Amino acid sequence: MDGSSGRRRARLALAAGVLLGLAYPIPLQWSGYTYFHTVGFLVLINAMLGVGWNVIGGWAGQFDFGPQVFFAIGAYTAAILFVHVGLSPWLGMLAGVLAAMGICALVTYPLTRLRGHYFAISTVAIWMIAQPIGATWEFINGSRGLFIPMQGAQGVLGATASLQFAGRTKALGYYYVAFGLLGLTLWLLRLVEHSKLGFYFRAIRDDQEGAEGIGIDSRLYKVIARSITAAVFAAGGVLYGFWALAVFPEQVLDLNWSTLPIMATVVGGIGRLWGPVLGAVILIPISQIMSTTLGTGPLAGRGIDLIVYGVIIVLIAALRPTGILSLPWSRWARRLAGRPASGRLVGHG
Amino acid sequence: MPPLLELSAVTKRFGGLVANKDVSLAIGAGEIVGLIGPNGAGKTTLFNCLTGYLHPDAGRIVFAGADVTHARPERVCGLGIARTWQLVRTFGRMTVLENVVCGALKRHSRVGAARQRAWHLLEFTGLAPKADVLAANLTLADKKRLEIARALATEPRLLLLDEAMSGLTPAEMAAAVELVRRIHAELGLALCVVEHVMEVVMPLSQRVVVLDYGEVIAEGPPAEIARNEQVIKAYLGEHYRGR
Ligand SMILES: Nc1ncnc2c1ncn2[C@@H]1O[C@H](COP(=O)(O)OP(=O)(O)O)[C@@H](O)[C@H]1O
Ligand SMILES: [Mg+2]
Repeated sequence: MDGSSGRRRARLALAAGVLLGLAYPIPLQWSGYTYFHTVGFLVLINAMLGVGWNVIGGWAGQFDFGPQVFFAIGAYTAAILFVHVGLSPWLGMLAGVLAAMGICALVTYPLTRLRGHYFAISTVAIWMIAQPIGATWEFINGSRGLFIPMQGAQGVLGATASLQFAGRTKALGYYYVAFGLLGLTLWLLRLVEHSKLGFYFRAIRDDQEGAEGIGIDSRLYKVIARSITAAVFAAGGVLYGFWALAVFPEQVLDLNWSTLPIMATVVGGIGRLWGPVLGAVILIPISQIMSTTLGTGPLAGRGIDLIVYGVIIVLIAALRPTGILSLPWSRWARRLAGRPASGRLVGHG
Repeated sequence: MPPLLELSAVTKRFGGLVANKDVSLAIGAGEIVGLIGPNGAGKTTLFNCLTGYLHPDAGRIVFAGADVTHARPERVCGLGIARTWQLVRTFGRMTVLENVVCGALKRHSRVGAARQRAWHLLEFTGLAPKADVLAANLTLADKKRLEIARALATEPRLLLLDEAMSGLTPAEMAAAVELVRRIHAELGLALCVVEHVMEVVMPLSQRVVVLDYGEVIAEGPPAEIARNEQVIKAYLGEHYRGR
């Protein structure tokens, strides 16, 4: 009975979150000040990447510090197809996702011989190998990168179809696209979580030998988990590339594309589907707000936000390693509603 | 009819140490075999070879007509050998039910069907009241019981129990023996039981195999093994003679 009222509260929280997320940009749009749309866009994209990272890091328990490689593969695949062939960015996104999954599977299979720290280090190594390739490969214009020309599509539908928003609605358009992609990611990964894959990933995380003993091919399922992570990062990379109207190696292979989603996951609640969303809502605005409020003063520039991040991570690690989402929210909600644990709702569930 | 499991001259070395030396033995369908021997005799190593975690340096292992000498654990499980661990390996951050669902997914790829099968086994093993407890929070006896339920969920024909009763209180041990008997009688599995407590393994087994320094030094019905001079000297000690 507590279970069903808990579930109802969770559904309520979800509905409130969705409404808030949908309504957030509207008052800002009226005022014509769209800077915070961009903050929201970055929150959403990092939340989405965090939800994707949770699959390999939180469910399968394999620390992957190089998923930004797949962010780059997605961004480059869609950009190249758009620039050279004129392919729609949405089909480009599909192609980028498939390319990232394929490359991820090929690269990751040998890495799964390694365990623990060694696996983690090997994912960093792959990222280090990707950097000079991105910087020197002429086909993708080396370090100069690719610029994405504006198509000048008309209307909301045209802009959405070409993933290009301009002018006053640019920030608004990308905000809602990111919102939709995050929703799609959450919906799909919820299905994964409750499928055979979700069970197998967590079994490998908790005890790899034990998992193999009940017939789980640990290497295969680690590859599948990381390929799902890669798919989400690739989709995020495509969105980011079209938002930035450019794809170049230093930008899409930036270390922040793994550290921010990972920090969001850890702060929000590692292994919990919604953990990274909460984490991103808390963490990402900090860096944006700091860089604006500190302005050009002596504390301006990169660094302060990282110190704040560091403090938050240390606090979480010391006080609540399972993340903010794992706090007893349900109990607090009951107390707030003035209902002690006497179960007056019994039978209404 | 050939036996369910047949090992011929299995040898496993760790550097200079020979952990299993020319081990040949067979287990028939539905048989309970006790595997005993002093610490370090190579019992766990033999289980690891049987289940694909280690591969013998020489010899052959055939299970249900398939050569599994070099098979990986997941294939061995698929063919129908399941095991438990001397040091428990339950999935600590998953619930009791989820642990068993993971096992049942080997034969039912849909979670709903696997869940149904898992419930059935929780009832069979008496763990149903603890279905929603995180495995990490169980007592040792319940963890070992959960490992058995999880192994059964893979629908094996042979179950290998590696010290499933060590570290348990006498009452817990009696309950575990009862469970093993029911697995044999009601599910009709073949079992190979590694155990140190002679009072448990002798009455339970139809046949006992004794390992010492990696070698089979005796094999036969429990009563015969209890009288065997070499076994008494190597392992049983004088107090167990002839009982
Ligand atoms: N992975 C390993 N590497 C090296 N030596 C091992 C390994 N596993 C077991 N051994 C050694 O092999 C011998 C047999 O061990 P084990 O099979 O665990 O014995 P038992 O289960 O009968 O107590 C012991 O001497 C042990 O130290
Ligand atoms: Mg042992």
